Amino acid sequence: MLSVLSYGRIVARAVLGGLSQTDGRDYSLITASCGFGKDFRKGILKKGMCYGDDACFIAQHKSADVLGVADGVGGWRDYGVDPSQFSATLMRTCERLVKEGRFTPSSPVGILTSGYYELLQNKVPLLGSSTACIVVLDRRSHRIHTCNLGDSGFLVVRGGEVVHRSDEQQHYFNTPFQLSIAPPGAEGVVLSDSPEVSDSSSFDVQLGDIILTATDGLFDNMPDYMILQELKKLKNTNYDSIQQTARSIAEQAHELAYDPNYMSPFAQFACDNGLNVRGGKPDDITVLLSIVAEYTD
Amino acid sequence: MFPMLTLLSMFYYICLRRRSRSGTRSEALGSRRAVELGQRSALPVTVEVEQYGKEVLDFSSHYGSENSMSYTMWNLAGVPNVYPSSGDFTQTAVFRTYGSWWEQCTSSAQRFRRTPPSFHSQDYLELAFEEPVYPTAVEVLETYHPGAVIKILACSLNPFSQNPPVDVRWEVLWAGKPNKALTPQARQFSPSIKQINFATNLLRLEVNSSLLEYYTELDAVILRGVRERPILALYKIPVIDINDLSDSEEEISEAGGLCCRSGGENRHNLGNGYFDRLPYELIQLIVSHLPVPDLCRLAQSCKLFHKHCCDPLQYIQLSLQPYWARLTDASLSHLLSRCTLLQRLNMSWTGNRGAVTAAGFCSFMKACGVSLVCLELSCCHFLTEACLEVIAQTCPCLQELNLASCDRLQPQAFNHIVKLTNLRRLVLYRTKVEQSAILSILTFCPELKHLNLGSCVMIEDYDVVASMLSARCHSLRSLDLWRCRNLSEHGLAELVSGCRLLEELELGWCSTLQSSSGCFQHLARSLPRLRKLFLTANRTVCDSDLEELAANCSALEHLDILGTRMVSSASLRKLLQCCPQLKLLDVSFCSQVDSRLVQELSGLFPNVSIKKSFTQ
Repeated sequence: MLSVLSYGRIVARAVLGGLSQTDGRDYSLITASCGFGKDFRKGILKKGMCYGDDACFIAQHKSADVLGVADGVGGWRDYGVDPSQFSATLMRTCERLVKEGRFTPSSPVGILTSGYYELLQNKVPLLGSSTACIVVLDRRSHRIHTCNLGDSGFLVVRGGEVVHRSDEQQHYFNTPFQLSIAPPGAEGVVLSDSPEVSDSSSFDVQLGDIILTATDGLFDNMPDYMILQELKKLKNTNYDSIQQTARSIAEQAHELAYDPNYMSPFAQFACDNGLNVRGGKPDDITVLLSIVAEYTD
Repeated sequence: MFPMLTLLSMFYYICLRRRSRSGTRSEALGSRRAVELGQRSALPVTVEVEQYGKEVLDFSSHYGSENSMSYTMWNLAGVPNVYPSSGDFTQTAVFRTYGSWWEQCTSSAQRFRRTPPSFHSQDYLELAFEEPVYPTAVEVLETYHPGAVIKILACSLNPFSQNPPVDVRWEVLWAGKPNKALTPQARQFSPSIKQINFATNLLRLEVNSSLLEYYTELDAVILRGVRERPILALYKIPVIDINDLSDSEEEISEAGGLCCRSGGENRHNLGNGYFDRLPYELIQLIVSHLPVPDLCRLAQSCKLFHKHCCDPLQYIQLSLQPYWARLTDASLSHLLSRCTLLQRLNMSWTGNRGAVTAAGFCSFMKACGVSLVCLELSCCHFLTEACLEVIAQTCPCLQELNLASCDRLQPQAFNHIVKLTNLRRLVLYRTKVEQSAILSILTFCPELKHLNLGSCVMIEDYDVVASMLSARCHSLRSLDLWRCRNLSEHGLAELVSGCRLLEELELGWCSTLQSSSGCFQHLARSLPRLRKLFLTANRTVCDSDLEELAANCSALEHLDILGTRMVSSASLRKLLQCCPQLKLLDVSFCSQVDSRLVQELSGLFPNVSIKKSFTQ
């Protein structure tokens, strides 16, 4: 009797162990990027991974895959400040933080806070502002941790449907939350949001989940159904097909942005708020497309 | 004809052979590695391993913030981030000082007598690698103003091993003189190193940047070595050196010493030759020029010299810093009997990795600390709270105390400094001193003239500290508040109203000071004796601040206004005209000051060293 029970226990354990074997493996993100600067600088990599005033990074550390996008606020151009410098330096700094392991996977806000702090430690007096969105995959726990400040953001698509998305943070129309370094004296005038006011979220992911991280140049020009249509074409998980899909999404968004008759999500939102406009929104577009796959060395 | 031809050809052939042989000999040093590799290839092949640094374990100072990765020493580990580019980048390792500017300040320590001329290290760092190898080459990637590295040492201890050996040896792989490269451009520095007979994964670099124009920056260090001991290595017999201090007892040689010839008159002496004719003070004077290890060796030679060399008058100033690699508890106990009149002691950098224990240090202090006036203990990681307690008890006359970079000392240890009421100079750079401790110290040490609280991250409110300084320490001449987080204009105003004698004020990277509050102008008006003012990376410094400095501080010698966008050429000219003593002006990253302007001003004011750093 007892031997039957113990034998049954061993068998059950073996079967269940076999079923849940995939849970023991680490996950990882296979990511491709594509983008276009507003001034027809088609995908020219200025300092690497910069598209116009947008910037992005993809980095790994021992236990995590990290992505980030930042949208430099163009209004600084009127004051003689290059808006791309802030976003590019912020993303370079966050990338370095990740590569050196100075972060906790479960706290992407920490990456943003440390990155912003490091910008202030630079001898060069940086000026400017940008939004930021950081996505971290914890390989072992299969959880995604995100942090979003401003109107960039991410989508998580599973089985052809959007299961998670980020919320836009805006002070008022076309003025997102932003990290900034202002010239002395202008601190009261210039919007400067602290990394603490960013939106954080965490959720589990499964193999095959698609994560699309992008700046508002994409989301303001392409509604969800169009993005999902493009993503359906993604058949396998190798880097080249992801790169191709990312490129096609970015290109389509870029075309729609300059279509004067198209009712873009941006135009729709403006109409809802009483502004009678039509057409796309010319803007820098940055797209990071990732698939959750098994970790291979 | 033919015999002459054959003679000539023979002669020519011999000359050719000789020339080729001497050629290889002169190249031998440079191609020693190639030769060895060639020789090694004849034997079982040894693979050369190339490693980048794994972790920076210890260092004496750095430019960056304690929890940052910009300009901090930890950037030296890993692969290079900047090389082969040149410039002033955040991803490099930078020391706190450069040139001789800080030595010119009154806040620096006076030089110790008897420092051997071969010791000129100002800063050091210790870098651990993954795998112990027998080093064949060390390459230092310097990306800005190279030329500071003057010594490379290797340690026999593996810092990652679980059971470290008792005997820790440091061997000098290479030593050189401080120099500067011709341009500030990046270079790969790879001096030819000595072969050693132990595998090492811990290197120490010592630097001296006194000849450099600006901060030197290091990007990475590459260690090349082999895993197996090279068979043809020359084993260097360890030279009998300071170890004599520890293992020799007092050897009184009965049979006489150096000179046995009797002078004639004094036959009842042991006969020290002409030395018997010299007065005691003269021999003392002669012997006072010997460095400490020679002094100890001379003491063993004969009774007369033993008497002279063990005379406590020879040990009024004692600098053990050059001998940090070999100083142990035993050395200290051996010196104990001679150091009873000790007034100035430099034990900076000594005793790490167990060489000196807190107990050994305490017993030395108890025996020798009574007359101590100056105590330099920078980077002494063996110090504990008990040591500071003993110092406080046994050294009531202490006027100078340097605990820079003693970052392993617990915060409560600093409370004991309160008892040293005669303190004139206190250095607590990069320590964990807390607000309550420093406030107590300032309350009870009103004689303070020089105070260094740079990078003291545990002090929460610098305004309160400034207020206390203003109330208690009216003799303050120099104050270093480098990277103090939250000094505001109120604290600064109180400070300058109470400490009227301030000559040196270091407020670099104090980002909470806003020029729009008028605090810098108030400072300039309140401190007419100001000689050094560092407002590094305070982005608010503007023209009116410089004009006030020009109007009030004619004694100004060093000024740093790095990184402000608000200073124009007109106010710079005014400053340079009105401050004739100005020697150092750092206008790096000031956006209105371009290199053309710097050139022009350097031409007009040739006595001023105008610094403009660059990133590209």
